[in-house]
Amino acid sequence: MSGTPILHCDLDAFYASVEQILDPSLAGRPILVGGGVVVAASYEARAFGVSAPMNVRRALERCPDAVVVSGSFREYSDYSDRVMAILRDFTPLLEQISIDEAFLDVSGTMHLLGDPAAIARKIRRRVKEETGLPISIGVASSKFLAKVASAAAKPDGLLVVNPDDEIDWLHSLPVRAIWGIGPVTERKLHDRGVKTVGELAATPVEALSRWLGPGAGHHLHALAWNRDPRPVQTSRRAKSIGAQSALGRGLTDTGDLSGVLLHLADRVGTRMRKKHKVGKTFTLRVRFDDMTTATRATTFDAPLNTTSAIHHAAMALLDDARSGHDGPLTLVGMSMSKLSDEGAVQMELALDDGDVSHAGSIAADHQAEIDRQIDLARERFGRGVVGRASDILNKDRRRVDDGFRELAEKD
Amino acid sequence: MRIRAERDDLGDVFSRANRAVGTRSALPVLQGLKCEVTGSSLRVTGTDLEMTVQTQTEVETLEEGAAVIPGKILEQAVRKMPAGQVTIGAEDGDVEILGSGPRFSLKQLGLDDFPEISESTVGGTEVDGEALAGAIAQVTTAASTDAARPILTGVLFESTEDGVRLVSTDSYRLAVRDLPGVGIEGSGLIPARGLRELPRTVGSSKVQVSLDGREGVFSSDRGALRLRMIEGTFPKYQSLLPDSYPNQLVVDRDGLLEALGRVALVAEDHIPVRLKINAGGVEIAVSRQDVGAEKEFLAGEYSGSEELEIAFNPRYLADGVSAITGDAVRLQLIDGLKPSVLDSADDPGFLYLLMPVRI
Repeated sequence: MSGTPILHCDLDAFYASVEQILDPSLAGRPILVGGGVVVAASYEARAFGVSAPMNVRRALERCPDAVVVSGSFREYSDYSDRVMAILRDFTPLLEQISIDEAFLDVSGTMHLLGDPAAIARKIRRRVKEETGLPISIGVASSKFLAKVASAAAKPDGLLVVNPDDEIDWLHSLPVRAIWGIGPVTERKLHDRGVKTVGELAATPVEALSRWLGPGAGHHLHALAWNRDPRPVQTSRRAKSIGAQSALGRGLTDTGDLSGVLLHLADRVGTRMRKKHKVGKTFTLRVRFDDMTTATRATTFDAPLNTTSAIHHAAMALLDDARSGHDGPLTLVGMSMSKLSDEGAVQMELALDDGDVSHAGSIAADHQAEIDRQIDLARERFGRGVVGRASDILNKDRRRVDDGFRELAEKD
Repeated sequence: MRIRAERDDLGDVFSRANRAVGTRSALPVLQGLKCEVTGSSLRVTGTDLEMTVQTQTEVETLEEGAAVIPGKILEQAVRKMPAGQVTIGAEDGDVEILGSGPRFSLKQLGLDDFPEISESTVGGTEVDGEALAGAIAQVTTAASTDAARPILTGVLFESTEDGVRLVSTDSYRLAVRDLPGVGIEGSGLIPARGLRELPRTVGSSKVQVSLDGREGVFSSDRGALRLRMIEGTFPKYQSLLPDSYPNQLVVDRDGLLEALGRVALVAEDHIPVRLKINAGGVEIAVSRQDVGAEKEFLAGEYSGSEELEIAFNPRYLADGVSAITGDAVRLQLIDGLKPSVLDSADDPGFLYLLMPVRI
């Protein structure tokens, strides 16, 4: 089994499992985590056809006995940290890809700890004993195949893909098993008679490129043959920091959109400041109710990370992004890129009150100080303790609690 | 129209007028030069509506008339002719350019589409052309090129008690040049981009300047440069100039420029140069994580209370030192986070205010 050094470890129904540990009376019962929208569902609830993201009301129609819990964010974060610490005992080559998932490369520690399958069994036992959480693990020769294997192992299982059989096993799976094939791509492939990964692998790459675009065509064809050269990366250096928000049936009012964009700018700015990063390029992405999208970008004179400057840039691009399309927006997203470490700032002369978009102006310095104080207060007393008024007043609109977003964006 | 003239004379007049012709213009006709022949004069006009160059040369007139001819290709076609006489004729929408042998035929642009340009050069104050060009070069170095901040792309002309003052700033540095004894009347904000073209278009030993509230006109025996004024109010800069500085460093100008030239090898982008100033002079240092570092000491005279550290954008600092005339440059400081002033002990008429970089 030395040819299968990659482990994909994935906690099962993580939020729901934590809730069941915190309140043992919930064990074995269907649980929905979330407010307006289901963010996570326990396996008991999934059996009734409930999945995230589904409207809670609709989920309760399918599963009337489900218990709805709103989310214990600090505990989620703590449990995640404890699990990751356990995983790190088995190899330093760990790539955490979300709050409840990580890749491990154990090729360097097998001689000490046993073959990958033995390591995976030990991990499952320790996570269960020390945290109570079920964790599924896929063991394979590549990150891609390990991820496919862990999905197949769920719930609470272990699947080791033998390198001699890996192609046969992979080819026997439905195309949907491939990481990156969603319902849309699946339908396109089904329409052309491609149902299994084996059929996908047998399809000429030129045809796939025609159906799905050249990028996706080549990528999926390579995956169908388990060609995935990506190594496990311990510190993924973020190239951009972003956030997005779905807007339900859509927003048209500029004031409403400004509120949403301020909230996103606050999240992006806060994360940048926490990592001591500044960014030079700002990108705004919007989606309309007919699913068309528009993307606009702008570059600052000097890199920055203040919430108000990010919001300012978003508002400046919003009109342009909406030109030629008067439909409501169903999604807005933003990101800051061309990141660098916080550093020297060219100061501006006090010609006027200055522009928040110019790092080093008086206005930007004031905003930086406001951000600093808000960040400090939130660090001590929690996120909700202080914020910008228009953002706080908008809070009721949000369909997904910010606690979940913070967990998802946890770096 | 039909004219004949020396190749190089034609090349020069077209190249002067072409300074005002943009490479990308909303109106196709603005890619053209308007050529008018009356008497023995060929008058050539190029404009991008913000900047206009009107210039002329003596020619042998075969037929009077006017045409708008694509500017860049006209100039290049003339310049690439064999040395000697070149003939240009325009008729029925076509242009013919004849050297001794080669013949270009080009399409004209619409004469009627070419914008009306004022011809007036009446009035105006005669000034020393070289002094004016020197002053413009000194202040335009501080002007912004950011189209999003139009007011900062201009040079403020304002009359003072005993002359005229030129000011520009890109919000990081501010350059002020006084020209005492120069009685230019009126005031206004003139695009720096256009002013920089003065020497290459109509610059001469004597230049007439008039500011009429709408445009600034600079004219000489070579023609006229007309620059549309920028609308808006220039920031109140006077209060930015500190009354006094507790700390002063005087160093050799060329020595400092050479040192900054070495700094520039290491510094790029936004890497600041750090100055540590003490009684003996100044230590100049730069370091860049992925490249390396440079450090040196420049002797100078320091009169200040204590050792002082300050950092600057090296390009901005070098721009200021370059703009200063004389052998020695004086750097006046308050502290590491306040604006500093560069000037020359020999020339009280110019100063360069520079904001530091906060480390």
